[in-house]
Amino acid sequence: MGELIKAPESGAGLTEPRQYLTFTIGGEMFAVETLSVKEIIEYGQVTCIPMMPASIRGVINLRGSVVPVIDLKARFGGRATEATRRTCIVIIELDDDDDHQVVGIVVDTVSEVLEIPPADIEAPPAFGARIRADFIRGMGKIEGRFVILLDVHAVLSTDELSLLSEMAQAVPSQHTPSPVA
Amino acid sequence: MSTNMDDALQTFIVESRELLQTMEASLLEIGQGGDDTENINAIFRAAHTIKGSAGLFSLDPIVAFTHVAESVLDRVRAQRIAMDPALARLFLDVCDQMGALVERVASGLEVNGELQARSDELARQLSHHLEGTAVFPVAGDWPDGAPAQVAPPVFGPGCVTSGLWHISLRGGPDLLRFGLDPLSILRYLGTFGQIVSLEMVLAGIPRLNQLDPETCYMGFELSFASKADAQTIEDSFAFVRDDCTVRLIPPYGPIADYRALFADMPEDSLLLGQMLLRCGSLTQAELAQALATQEWLAEDEAGQAPAPRLGEVLVDQQLVEQPVIDAALERQQQVRQTKGAEVTLIRVDAAKLDQLINLVGELIIAGAGAQLAARRFKAPALVEATGVLSRLVEDVRDSALTLRMVQIGATFNRFRRVVRDVAIELDKDIQLDIRGGETELDKTIVEKIGDPLTHIVRNALDHGIESAADRVARGKPAQGRLMLNAFHESGSIVIEVSDDGGGLKKERILAKAMERGLVAEGQGLSDKDIFNLVFEPGFSTAEQVSNLSGRGVGMDVVKRNIQALRGTVDLESSEGHGTTVRIRLPLTLAIIDGFLIGAGPSSYVVPLEQVVECIELPLAGQLASGANYLNLRGEVLPFIRLRDLFEIPGEPPRRENVVVVQYAGERAGLVVDQLFGEFQTVIKPLGKVFSHIRCIGGSTILGSGEVALILDVPGLVRHVTARETGLSRSRQGSLAATA
Repeated sequence: MGELIKAPESGAGLTEPRQYLTFTIGGEMFAVETLSVKEIIEYGQVTCIPMMPASIRGVINLRGSVVPVIDLKARFGGRATEATRRTCIVIIELDDDDDHQVVGIVVDTVSEVLEIPPADIEAPPAFGARIRADFIRGMGKIEGRFVILLDVHAVLSTDELSLLSEMAQAVPSQHTPSPVA
Repeated sequence: MSTNMDDALQTFIVESRELLQTMEASLLEIGQGGDDTENINAIFRAAHTIKGSAGLFSLDPIVAFTHVAESVLDRVRAQRIAMDPALARLFLDVCDQMGALVERVASGLEVNGELQARSDELARQLSHHLEGTAVFPVAGDWPDGAPAQVAPPVFGPGCVTSGLWHISLRGGPDLLRFGLDPLSILRYLGTFGQIVSLEMVLAGIPRLNQLDPETCYMGFELSFASKADAQTIEDSFAFVRDDCTVRLIPPYGPIADYRALFADMPEDSLLLGQMLLRCGSLTQAELAQALATQEWLAEDEAGQAPAPRLGEVLVDQQLVEQPVIDAALERQQQVRQTKGAEVTLIRVDAAKLDQLINLVGELIIAGAGAQLAARRFKAPALVEATGVLSRLVEDVRDSALTLRMVQIGATFNRFRRVVRDVAIELDKDIQLDIRGGETELDKTIVEKIGDPLTHIVRNALDHGIESAADRVARGKPAQGRLMLNAFHESGSIVIEVSDDGGGLKKERILAKAMERGLVAEGQGLSDKDIFNLVFEPGFSTAEQVSNLSGRGVGMDVVKRNIQALRGTVDLESSEGHGTTVRIRLPLTLAIIDGFLIGAGPSSYVVPLEQVVECIELPLAGQLASGANYLNLRGEVLPFIRLRDLFEIPGEPPRRENVVVVQYAGERAGLVVDQLFGEFQTVIKPLGKVFSHIRCIGGSTILGSGEVALILDVPGLVRHVTARETGLSRSRQGSLAATA
């Protein structure tokens, strides 16, 4: 699927810089393309779903529809995010081939919207980024620092998340850390 | 334009499905002692309309196939061949094939070879009925010579046999005042052809005392032989065109044109028809056809006011050999009478309805929020206003939900065919009784109940009802009875499938269950428990597997499907007398009455229908230590601590409550912190991420905007049971290992 999404970039849009929303999770800087971001809301009123892995934080009411919230820190193999005053939920819209999903992700702080020209995007490293390689779409260079550009379709894959939730239930009262670490 | 065409095609598909249903129903009615003429007409009309509409979309496979069927039906209508059971059976296949062809169109695919081969095969069988034209003396009162009426060379279907032009002319009232003489036109026509026959139309002439000598009241109907082209003939009316009504119908013109003529001319169709007969432009049969079709038009318009039958107007048809105008008129009369009683229906896109229901759901949530705020501000006027508002919103909800309600009758009627086919296959004589067809329930449920119901019905036919010989031997009537019944009962709908067959054999079920390890020996089971074993996976007591049922994959799937609709199914049987399967379903899936409870920081909803009572949890000292059961008026009530199960952090409050829930005859307690009371619950699905979730049935939004989870009580109980059995098994396992 990553290929499908990258395809247009190699064509006409090659030189066009794209906009990215940057945010921090556990002190590390990440970015997602603004095209997939629907909105950013303050963290609050998350209803916890019992018997779910730590990476599935719960659900929120987004103007009448119930939206799942994913804790990315837990998803990347870390501990659950502690909510602070600056914690936000970034609402991501995913348009997969057959369905439309709206998912929220918990981030420690939202930084800014940046333009990153394709020339400044490096291929993801084979290892060493501490998160699964297929979660990374590329490494963006911003003022000499690297920012991990997330592949939201892989990170928020519905199939994988529902599999995770199923596994969490199959082993009751024994929370396995996400097997993705 | 293309979207218009698409819309029209969709209409065609929907209409065709309905027509095919009507056709099937009528076919099944034939030979049941009703008015077969009416049924045959209905079948013919359905085939005819589908063919005509399909023609509009150039759906040639449908047109070609239906044409053959229609031709045979035409003979049946003309009583030249009889609709015997064999032919009715063939037509059921034809009906299925038409359905298959229409579905092919619906799925946007071309007809494939297999389907076409089936069409050809059926067409071949049908064509046997077209040959020979054996005359069955059904009515026995042929007017002499009538059957011998041989169709003259036909220049295409639906055309008249007269090789003359037909010209209709009605003089406008001012024709004479403008100094125009109709006679001059006739003379002019005579210069390039010959007027074969002419009828004066004098019906418009008033009484003498009202007659204005300068006004033109007359008209002509004439048949005209000429080799001139249409333009020449038309030009001869160029001067009078503005003041007269002129209609030209070419030689061998389509009957549709005559039909339009009847519709347009002010005179009585019958009078006019007689004139056309005298002119020789129409034969008796053609006239009848033109009149009869016109009358069908009227009938269809009456029945389908909001969605006029597509293309009916453009349809032409084969010759009708022996129709009776009187009968046609009589029917027209009947149609007029029923017209007033017809309920006006509007076809609405289901998605629009869903959107409305969603909005009403939002409204309920918003209303609850407003009410909460009003109470917080303690302003009496505001509390009252929001109270009135929420009552109205509830009314709106109720009427919005009824929009989705459909009668179950249509689903039940589908089983006439199933019962008939299965009865033939099994060589049993079975009568189907349908009751409560007018009972309404949610459309989604109706759609999803069809499959489980089919399974139950097939089971009853196959295993329930015995063969005629066995029945007689047991002193029962040879004809078996299957009954489908539906009724409302305390907020849910009950569907019953009962047969008067052999019933279930308790011993055999029990033996089988032990063999499969489903029950332990000596386990005291009630009759009901035993019967419900048939819903266990992989259970079948049928000694032989037929191709209908008996593979043991049925009943557990049935149960699962029904449970997915938040329904229950149970079974009652008495050996030798029959079996009743009872399905209980909720009226709607969108909104439920819930009971709101709190555990830790979160709120949960339990469907109210599952709540029996609420009690206070006895203090820790009064409970057997570590055990999760309590004494409820002498009965053991096992309970689940929601805090433990859901791993809710924090200390429970000093006093906890127990919600006693009941599901499928079982009782259990849910230990919670707080009871909040009844709550109108709009069900929101949790989305694909949570598709494997157990214990939770969905979610809803509280007045505060918070999301509350709806507990799936059976799932919860199942989960806890499975976990405890798993634990005890592993404990046993480890004991065995150490021993």
